[in-house]
Amino acid sequence: MQEKEAIWLTAIYRETFPQVARVVQRLGGDLDTAKDLFHDALVIYLEKRNNNALDIQVSVKAYLVGITRILWMQKFRQDCRQQSLDTLGDQPDIPADLYAPEADKARSLRQYLQAAGKKCLQLLQAFYYEQRSMDEIAREFHYSTAHSATVQKYKCLEKVREAIKRSDIYEEATA
Amino acid sequence: MRKQLHEIQEIDQYLLQAMPAADKLVFQARMLTDTRLQENVRHQQEAHHLIRQTGREAQREKLAVIHSRLWETDEAFRAEISSIFK
Repeated sequence: MQEKEAIWLTAIYRETFPQVARVVQRLGGDLDTAKDLFHDALVIYLEKRNNNALDIQVSVKAYLVGITRILWMQKFRQDCRQQSLDTLGDQPDIPADLYAPEADKARSLRQYLQAAGKKCLQLLQAFYYEQRSMDEIAREFHYSTAHSATVQKYKCLEKVREAIKRSDIYEEATA
Repeated sequence: MRKQLHEIQEIDQYLLQAMPAADKLVFQARMLTDTRLQENVRHQQEAHHLIRQTGREAQREKLAVIHSRLWETDEAFRAEISSIFK
């Protein structure tokens, strides 16, 4: 499953990035900017797909190119009104926290997350970020049943939650 | 599952909108009187947020790997992109 996804993603990347690169180059951007914006567009696409919130009448390629344009305009605060959104179907809502600056707290929590263990974190991401089913997760992470994977998921979540709680108490004590 | 894991499961159902309406009302009423439960809900919600943030970062890393792999192994891709930014 994951392998199939990786193959699909590579194919869509190969097919779409040259067009994105041309668009960004024409707007005055360089290769790194094209790459960053395209990756953001893909992240938005994948998140929406995983949430079953995708409602597009155009090809994935056209959607990704459209999102990249919008991200460029947001980034450089150009006049969006001149751009047509027709090709995008529904107006795409760019997640507000896509470029959220990383707070000190988030940085320290990241260390706690790492302390919960790599496998734990991957399992949690598979469920809460990628929104995959527990059956699928059980197979990929080699649990005998979805139930045992679910118990493990809650144990992992508990570790993260307790770490957050401890950092909260720490903050209150030092505030 | 031990008691605390049951509570974690219950909070998850509440946060992920997977709780039947009647149970939700009871749960909300419990939260009003139980500050410990309230705190646990808040911390669990923060945990979800943090996991999603790091999930997004992991996704970006995967995309960076795809890019470098194409760049290194697909000569036509590299040539096409290079010609755009020459």
